[in-house]
Amino acid sequence: MEAWIDFAKGPLFAVTFLIMILGLARLLIIQLYNLIISKGGRLKNAPWKSILKDAATWFFPVKHLIKGTVIFSAFSFLFHIGVIIVPVFLADHIVLWENFLGANLPAIGQGLADFLTLFTIGCILVLLFMRIFVRRQRAMSKPMDYFLLVMVLFPFLSGYLASHPGSNPFTWESMMLVHLLSAEFLFVLIPFTKLAHIVLYFFDRISGLHWQLRPGAGDRVAKALFDEEARV
Amino acid sequence: MSTIPEESKVQVIKEKKRYPYYIENPVEENRVERFLEAFAAVLKYTDYKPLLDSYCNSSAKCNRCAVTCPVFQVTHDPRDIPCYRTNLLLDTYKRYFTIGGWFKSRFTNTFELTEEIIDEMLDGFYRCTACRRCTRECPMGVDHGMITRLGRYILSLMGIVPKALQVSTREQLEGETHNTSQIPKAALLNTLEFLSEELKDMLGIEVEFPIDKMEREYVFFCAVSDYLLEPETLMGNAAVLYASGDWDKWTIGTCNYDGINYGLFYSDWHLENIIKQLIAEVDRLKGKNILIGECGHASRSAHDFVPVFSNGKPYPVFNFMEYTLQCIREGRIKLNRDIVTEKVTYHDPCNIARSGWIVDQPREILKSFVPDFVEMTPNGQDNYCCGGGGGLVSVDEIHDFRMNIAGKVKAEQIRRTGAEIVISPCANCKKQLKELVEHYDLPCQVMGIHDLILKAIEIPGAKSAAERKEEAAMFAM
Repeated sequence: MEAWIDFAKGPLFAVTFLIMILGLARLLIIQLYNLIISKGGRLKNAPWKSILKDAATWFFPVKHLIKGTVIFSAFSFLFHIGVIIVPVFLADHIVLWENFLGANLPAIGQGLADFLTLFTIGCILVLLFMRIFVRRQRAMSKPMDYFLLVMVLFPFLSGYLASHPGSNPFTWESMMLVHLLSAEFLFVLIPFTKLAHIVLYFFDRISGLHWQLRPGAGDRVAKALFDEEARV
Repeated sequence: MSTIPEESKVQVIKEKKRYPYYIENPVEENRVERFLEAFAAVLKYTDYKPLLDSYCNSSAKCNRCAVTCPVFQVTHDPRDIPCYRTNLLLDTYKRYFTIGGWFKSRFTNTFELTEEIIDEMLDGFYRCTACRRCTRECPMGVDHGMITRLGRYILSLMGIVPKALQVSTREQLEGETHNTSQIPKAALLNTLEFLSEELKDMLGIEVEFPIDKMEREYVFFCAVSDYLLEPETLMGNAAVLYASGDWDKWTIGTCNYDGINYGLFYSDWHLENIIKQLIAEVDRLKGKNILIGECGHASRSAHDFVPVFSNGKPYPVFNFMEYTLQCIREGRIKLNRDIVTEKVTYHDPCNIARSGWIVDQPREILKSFVPDFVEMTPNGQDNYCCGGGGGLVSVDEIHDFRMNIAGKVKAEQIRRTGAEIVISPCANCKKQLKELVEHYDLPCQVMGIHDLILKAIEIPGAKSAAERKEEAAMFAM
């Protein structure tokens, strides 16, 4: 078991983390390329001020949260706080960042980490519950929407149990292995599923820029389809 | 006993369901193939691909859009959830135009585009008023309005577009009149003459509308239907220009006098060519600025797309309310506060308010001369659509949908204000709201902001506003 843990902590971590980084970098480059190269000079005419102002309101979205689906929205927002802070700033993870990236990040205290972990688990359960029991939300949901939530739940739950032997009905080793493997599976999922919004979110928020249509494109589409001038 | 064979009955019902609006040449065969062919061409020549890639990987399906949508609020039908509608297109894109979708289809019983899904799209995309209220509340920033428009664009390329929109844009681009209401130049000139006479009767001022004047500060375009349906709005516009001393600084062109651009609602090709037609008219007249009358989508299409489709430096575009407010602030026009005694509310047209462009200006204008002004709730950027947005107001055959579903929330919103006058500075909204007022028997009248200004404006050398009010009251008796 020790050897498996070492493998998961070492080479497997490095490979899966690299897959995530390269996958996200690919998405980042494609989006940047399309914005800068394809749209080019048209971007200077875009209503940047209103687009950025609107985007900014979502980083502290109280004004938006109170407008509808208050419970779901609030839990979604709070969930993201835990999901960002705990994996990055937990003391045990800081060692990993230092080993692999050479980054020396500040750590959060164990008490805060425990609270945020439990809080995130609670948020996931609320979000799952609402997805199952709110009709309009269930109508929209696909298996992947449930699957990803459960996959995010795994590393948090296993991580908490591994660091709290009193609450852990299994051995530390088995729980740690589940923790590592589930987190690494998430790394691989991130660039290929809607978890890619880690990067794409920022582009979605400024997607108003896509109203800067490409001049002449309508003509080319029409010619390609009708082999003549566009039909009016 | 019915004489219609059972088979034909089924066919009739099916036909009715397939196209909820009139189409010039209904497409019946190979619709799936044609849709995918059109989609492929759009992806090849336009910039929508990265947008779709991004949306596919981030749509959270959180349903915030559902609760903000005035259509869903009435029907509670999952098919009216903006995200559901958006995902019809995103699923098609993912399945047929991404490697992941192709890969998945080799191993699983994945999404397939079917005739039924095309039916759902052609219905769903025109059950959306493209008001983009949901876009403002989407935590992921998915612009459902843009996706609805893209879906409509692809459908239009296979010939599925409401006849009312298609016929209008055809006349605007290829017809003799070059406008959506088919108003010939002679009729325009007659109308302007009539408006001059009306202004003389009402205000006591002699004005001749400036036609085809060169090198003017402003070239004026309104929704061309205003020339037929909203003379008071146009007279209000004229009164402001006269009172401000700018009468010799504007003109109306006779080669193109229509600000309407239905391309904004369903087609990149139409949008671009109608904008180019507008620019060509300003070029011809050597004008300096484009001044758009009271029309939300005409303002937005010119304001947002003149810069996109201009070669060289784009003409600045102003909505008439911006101009009027500037005149008020500079003290160039005076509005009498004692004339309008009714309770007045303001409806924000989505196309100018949702982005935050025209929100405060009309309120500042109204508050300067309307003592009893009341807001709708919600208002401004969060305001509800009238229910006729996205071109739906022109599609007469979906009148029931516009009244009983899309416009219901708006009707209730208006009723709650208790207002006697609803101001709506948009030709489309005005038509829809007037129909709503009649349908729901609301005790109010709908008019443009310049209709109200026309009542209260004080012009040196003309009849006073009080005098005009008295005359109007006597005439009404």
